[in-house]
Amino acid sequence: MLRASVLERFALAVVSTLLALLIGSVIVWATGYDAVEFVTSLLYGAVGNLSNVAFTLRQSTMLILTGVAVAVAFRAGVFNIGVQGQFVVGGFATALTILFLAPLLPGGPVGGVVLMVLGTITAIVAGGAYGALPGLMKAYADANEVITTIMLNFIASGVVYFLIDAYLRPSGTSAPNTESFPDYVDLPGFAFGSGSFSVIGLGVALATALGVYVVMARTSFGYDLVTSGYQESAAAYSGVDPKRTVVTTMTFSGMVAGVAGAMFAIMVLGYYSDPSTFPSFGFDAIAVSLLAANNPLGVIPAGLLFGGLDAGGQYIGFTLDVPSELVDGVIGLIVLFVAAPELFRMSARRFGLGGDDR
Amino acid sequence: MSGSGAPAVELDAITKRFGDVIANDGVDLTLERGTVHALVGENGAGKTTLMSVLYGLYEPDGGTICVDGQPRTFDSPRDAIDAGVGMIHQHFQLVDTMTVLQNVVLGHEPTDNGLVDQDSARAAIDEVCSTYGFDIDKHLDTRIEDLGVGVQQRVEIVKSLYRGADTLILDEPTAVLTPQEVDELFDVMAELTDRGQSLIFITHKLDEAMAVADDITVLRDGESVGTVDGASTSEQELARMMVGRDVLFEGQERTTEPGSVTLDVADLRVQDDRGLEQVSGIDLSVRSGEVLGIAGVDGNGQAELVEAITGLRPVESGTVTFEGRDITETSRRDRIEAGIAYIPEDRQSEGLVQEYDLVRNALLGNQTIEPFVENGFVDWDRVREHAAEIVAEYDVQPPHVEADAGSLSGGNQQKFVVGRELRHDPDLVVASHPTRGVDIGSIEFIHGRLHEMRDEGMAILLVSSKLDEVQKLSDRLAVIHEGEFVDVVDPDAVTEGELGLLMAGRERAAADGGVER
Repeated sequence: MLRASVLERFALAVVSTLLALLIGSVIVWATGYDAVEFVTSLLYGAVGNLSNVAFTLRQSTMLILTGVAVAVAFRAGVFNIGVQGQFVVGGFATALTILFLAPLLPGGPVGGVVLMVLGTITAIVAGGAYGALPGLMKAYADANEVITTIMLNFIASGVVYFLIDAYLRPSGTSAPNTESFPDYVDLPGFAFGSGSFSVIGLGVALATALGVYVVMARTSFGYDLVTSGYQESAAAYSGVDPKRTVVTTMTFSGMVAGVAGAMFAIMVLGYYSDPSTFPSFGFDAIAVSLLAANNPLGVIPAGLLFGGLDAGGQYIGFTLDVPSELVDGVIGLIVLFVAAPELFRMSARRFGLGGDDR
Repeated sequence: MSGSGAPAVELDAITKRFGDVIANDGVDLTLERGTVHALVGENGAGKTTLMSVLYGLYEPDGGTICVDGQPRTFDSPRDAIDAGVGMIHQHFQLVDTMTVLQNVVLGHEPTDNGLVDQDSARAAIDEVCSTYGFDIDKHLDTRIEDLGVGVQQRVEIVKSLYRGADTLILDEPTAVLTPQEVDELFDVMAELTDRGQSLIFITHKLDEAMAVADDITVLRDGESVGTVDGASTSEQELARMMVGRDVLFEGQERTTEPGSVTLDVADLRVQDDRGLEQVSGIDLSVRSGEVLGIAGVDGNGQAELVEAITGLRPVESGTVTFEGRDITETSRRDRIEAGIAYIPEDRQSEGLVQEYDLVRNALLGNQTIEPFVENGFVDWDRVREHAAEIVAEYDVQPPHVEADAGSLSGGNQQKFVVGRELRHDPDLVVASHPTRGVDIGSIEFIHGRLHEMRDEGMAILLVSSKLDEVQKLSDRLAVIHEGEFVDVVDPDAVTEGELGLLMAGRERAAADGGVER
């Protein structure tokens, strides 16, 4: 059990989900609502038809990207609670790039691709820079990263809101939104035909997860990061500069969060808006990453599960008169059940069980 | 409990398996009341497993345990404690942030209406201390983290006594102590047996076993080789029993002469983490094919000196020159790449990542070294081979590269670290206590390897608190005291008594036979 294979973990997650659903339905039934309708609505909202699947995958795309960003930092022993802020800043950089460069470049599909690629690159740079900031503060001013990253989330949100409201809001409108991106700046929906989901976005998320996994597991840079996370003194012994590693870790994490911002701006919104109205992907990502044991590949199924629960929960909120607290409670139960074996495994490892010490 | 004439503990044919591995195979041991019984054996011989069976941590697969003549089965340490058996672990089971008083009574607090009765706790501990002549009563309100290791160990002992133990198992108690603390521990042990306590003393240091034990049982590969009388045995006899063959205690004659200067340190000053100067103007040089030993009582600046040379600690002033290049300001990684290997004092926190398997630990320090890493990508197959080679050559037990470093015994961890560092084929090895916690057979092997590599032209800077080790291995021996070299002597011409005086900071009256650097 302590060293369960991937397949065993997957089977455990499925069984845990079913068990949690069962208990959740008992609670729903006990509070006087229709449990069968609740469960079927949850499933229908997640995967019931093509557009629901598209919504699930859209949420999953965002959760996988932000989840990988969190996992990178956690793996290196740095608690980046600022993925939300880095994601907001990254998306804003994308929006600025697209809005300012669009008039200068030819339109049409070619211009669209160029703008989206440039927008994503600036998002990576901006997200990385915004992540580097708390990294530098931790390394050279001994400022706890948990506190600074939380604060920087508020700063990102507030500053972006101010800039949009003061300078980017088209005249004659009152909502704090930028102009919409040109029509040709959009990812194609393909089979899903949805305005806010594209398999390309999901592909970017999967490729990012895989790429980060390869960096962590196969490169000496990744070895430096992971070793720092496990045992800082051993990392220093092996030639890792602890201060520089904190900064590179936060930068790397922020860069991945920047990709999430780019996908949110391009694929989901098609403009940019007041960040305080955005979903809290950067925070949900912490749960996603923990469920995945901070493994970038594990973030993929964890992100899909969370995306489905999110979509199903929202669907219940629209269609049934079940209180949203109850929906959140049942979903929380599922998360707890799925995450519990992982938590037990982590704590068992921490307390040194599972080895046959002589 | 005592006085019945029955042995304090009688183990009969204890067998314990872990999967396919037999850790104890029909081991007998009889501990007479009021005596010290030493249990010696190499790392992984099954000493700790046997004691864990007695202490209720493992259930034996066969055999019986009698305590004070009564057959017993222990399901947990609590049962063992109730039967009067206490264990002092190698890694103390104390809560660092709690006081001595709180630690001693933890789990067995005298209560008064549900609250801890501080006064009767204090009285009970005072009684234990005065019975056995302990001096920890003045530390009762001190937090564990503020105490030295030797005192912490006495707190552990008092904790067991407070719980009514009359049989104590001491698991390698001297491994963490300085020579002075070891002497103090031996005094404590004598006091305990005088008062009717029975002690099992686990060690792999033969001189210690002979110094304090009434009986010595030798384990090898999980089996008892025999029990001998502590007073009449010899170190040679015990070593042969432990290793299964004769062991050389002599150094090997050198076959080559030292070459050019590899490491040169000039007027080095280094501070510790608190900003106190620990190295106060040290000059030294090590030539290729030469071993410079540094002897001294722990805490006289050796750690800071070594860290400054290996690149883990910045220097205040002075220079470090390696092969003619000033490396005073270069990073640790640069120095590794330049060919400086480092066997760290603390293998647990520095030399190994406990939760990594041996394959991943084989890469530690080699992250930028070809052929393990090329263009930033790790060649894990190559690293795995490397790990397997270390395990085979240095006889690391168990011989599985998939084993987590943390699951290995201390000596096997040390062998793996030494193997990894020496296999780099470095130009300079900085070895800090290279055989700490390692059994005799492996000490012999590591010493042999160091001599071989010296003869091949490697420069070695050796720091050790074991005088016999520095004397045997070194070509020149520097004695450090309060951050300065008191003298540099010829290790063959100096006596242990002279070294002791030098280590205490007293310079010799005349420069007799001292070798200038």
